[in-house]
Amino acid sequence: MRTVTLTKGVPDFREGQVSFDEDGHLERGDTPTVMNPNDEPALRASLQAKVRNGGTASVMSMGPPGYGDVLREAMESVYADDLYLLSDREMAAADTWATAITVATGIQNMDEEPDLVFAGFKTADGETGHTGPQTAWCLDWPLVTHVVALDVDTEAGTLRAKRLVEGDADEIETVEAPLPAFVVTDPEFEPSYRRAEHRLTHKDLREETRQRAGEHEDHMTVWDHSDLNLDPDFIGLDGSPTIVSGVDPIPKAPAERDATMVDPSDPEEMAGVVDEMSRFAGGD
Amino acid sequence: MALDPGEYDISELGPAIQDVEDVDELEDILEAEKAGENRVGAKQLVESRIEKFREDGEDGGDGDFDPTEMSPADIANALQDVDSVDRLKEIRDMEEAAGSRDNVLRLIDKRVDSIQGSDEETVVDRAPPEERHPDLDHPTADKQYVEDLEDGTYRDMWVYCETTDGELLDVSREMLGKARRLMDGYNDEYGRDERVVAVLLGDGVADLTDEVVELGADVVVYQDDPELARFRHKPYTELFAGMARAGGALGRQSRPRNDEAGETGLALDEEPDAGDSSWRDYDEPRYVLFPATDDGRDLSALVQGELDSGLASDCSGLYIEDTVISNPAKTGREGDKREFEAVLHMKRPDFSGFEYSTILCLDNPTREFHPQGASVIPGSFEAPDPDPAREGEAYEYDFALPEDWFRVDVTEHDELDSGVDLTGHDVVVGLGRGIGDDPTAGMELGLELADAFEDAALGITRGIVTSSYDFEGHVEQYAREERQIGETGQVVEPKLYVAAGISGAIQHKVGVDEADTIVAVNTDPDADIRDFSDYYVEGDLFEVLPALVDALESGELDEAALATGGGDDD
Repeated sequence: MRTVTLTKGVPDFREGQVSFDEDGHLERGDTPTVMNPNDEPALRASLQAKVRNGGTASVMSMGPPGYGDVLREAMESVYADDLYLLSDREMAAADTWATAITVATGIQNMDEEPDLVFAGFKTADGETGHTGPQTAWCLDWPLVTHVVALDVDTEAGTLRAKRLVEGDADEIETVEAPLPAFVVTDPEFEPSYRRAEHRLTHKDLREETRQRAGEHEDHMTVWDHSDLNLDPDFIGLDGSPTIVSGVDPIPKAPAERDATMVDPSDPEEMAGVVDEMSRFAGGD
Repeated sequence: MALDPGEYDISELGPAIQDVEDVDELEDILEAEKAGENRVGAKQLVESRIEKFREDGEDGGDGDFDPTEMSPADIANALQDVDSVDRLKEIRDMEEAAGSRDNVLRLIDKRVDSIQGSDEETVVDRAPPEERHPDLDHPTADKQYVEDLEDGTYRDMWVYCETTDGELLDVSREMLGKARRLMDGYNDEYGRDERVVAVLLGDGVADLTDEVVELGADVVVYQDDPELARFRHKPYTELFAGMARAGGALGRQSRPRNDEAGETGLALDEEPDAGDSSWRDYDEPRYVLFPATDDGRDLSALVQGELDSGLASDCSGLYIEDTVISNPAKTGREGDKREFEAVLHMKRPDFSGFEYSTILCLDNPTREFHPQGASVIPGSFEAPDPDPAREGEAYEYDFALPEDWFRVDVTEHDELDSGVDLTGHDVVVGLGRGIGDDPTAGMELGLELADAFEDAALGITRGIVTSSYDFEGHVEQYAREERQIGETGQVVEPKLYVAAGISGAIQHKVGVDEADTIVAVNTDPDADIRDFSDYYVEGDLFEVLPALVDALESGELDEAALATGGGDDD
């Protein structure tokens, strides 16, 4: 079995890491890049497939050469066998559709067609959640989104997945689909390792990967647009239907309530707050 | 109700009135400003917007504006009316004296160049890809997912009306109302007669056509089939795209091939058995709207992919106006400008709630990207009252549903214990990034406080959902999106809302506005949340929350603990 997990580097949005210019605009250049936290469930799903079904796991990303570190991190977390970086100035500043065309071509360019491609729900920076489904559409593969649990039957060439469906009352849907298929994991994806042998395999793979991750560049394939035979008009900024025409800081809301300032070390002032709250007191 | 300009700084007023398109309402705002603070900049902002939306407005192209109060995008538009080089130089001086923004100066310089330079329009004359990239053999244009539509005709705004259990979702109503207002404005502005087209897919949707018309649709297209009872990616996408796409000579050669054999996707007027297509005479819609629900988001991405176009997801603001773009990807050449008519401007809260981005979907010199698409956050727009007198046309379709579309087979579905419902409680305790010093302890404190009330729920901000905090196992479940309060999460209306360590981004405010009483706990005396709090405890939640828990449990305040806890460290 062969899987590919798509991942992306995003600005680190943790408190203190984000910097703004004087107009209140986010300064991307000064914000460090980390692996998209929402890709972790996709990586967990890929790891589960490798541990339970064997075979090889690849990780693919599109981005500047500096994404090597993001890929190394991904390699460690899925015990990946190899890495693919689609990297080229022509690919820069792509929107989701241009990215999907590039990534789908990257997948089609692999020596062996994968059985499963995993993607995370959204990226933390763009948050569109479109790239995964659009890549699946380019490949014309069955698509299963919001997946929280996955079983693969390699012999039958099928997958069985549980997915979350929102509605009046939320539901869990069980679906079956033939491979190759494209799986978008939900943030709530939980891998399951029911058998002891799975847990042992897990341990062996960890050892093996630790070594590989140290020399991850030896296991990384970098493709540019001519390697993929992609016309620059269809990728990157030039191939993107959408552009960002403006960014405004979210405006400060007008004051609507007249806050009573309370100094927590002043018992009288605090008593006012406690009075307000004690009407509702009465928990266990 | 018109907003009160007196409540906004000038820099905030622009974004605040960005969605106001009604001239009367803008006039009211202008009058209110004149009666109130009467600021020159504020008046200009409102006036320029009135200019934009007034029918047959007298040509106000005298360039009488102050660039220092405007966004670069507005300046780009305003500059198009200025033909005097002297006036442009004055505008440039104003900008240099104030902000001296590089991009604005470039815009002005380009305008000067274009007036002084040759009068001939630069025709985009791009060499064919074979000449520009001789190293490739150019298969991309032949890919199944790339459409080759040239000089296509695009009309109408299409709205995907999602349903559940045979009823419209609220967001479907909200989108129909917004689409109606947008297209009324568009038809007025451009003297056209384009329609709102509602799309219904599912089982039993035929019963909804009247309602959809009453809410603002001119045309309803639908396919009602038991096989469509549950949302499925492939059939829903194929059907929507098939309805949205014309066939005919133009359509046939341009349509994406769905498989290697070269079979093309569905198109309305090529399948006369599927239904009447005489009501339309265009290639693809001009605009499309989808709900930003789980299914709606997936569908929007796939439909726009199938139609080889783009979209902005999770929008909370939409307006249509002309725009001038200097992005070389869109103009074809560095330094050129290109004017686009009636562009759907799609505003979305971005970057975890720090900023609004305005996204545009625009044709490239070599590819046409229509329809311009957006998905819309539920609750962003007001649902209209149904108007039983409204008239519209409904067309049923009956496309064949090939087995291959159902490769993903739903074998079971079970209702889930309904996630976390933060609504309907007396009290909600909200936690924000103020817990960052010790996220696990902060979460525990929030839970303790919630427990001290008889009927309370614990919620969190988007900031926590998107953080990379390492919560210990026992509290991790409380950090999930299902507990998020705000524009993209749940909207709560408790009697008491306690906001601990929450700075008060606008997207959070939307989720708690209706609380009777809001108590904020924050170390920063000037955090935004102060403007919508009734009590503002200026202190560290790690000290204040334990004191509150104690007081609520024992019925009295431990003054000694407060005095030592809240003071300076010593």
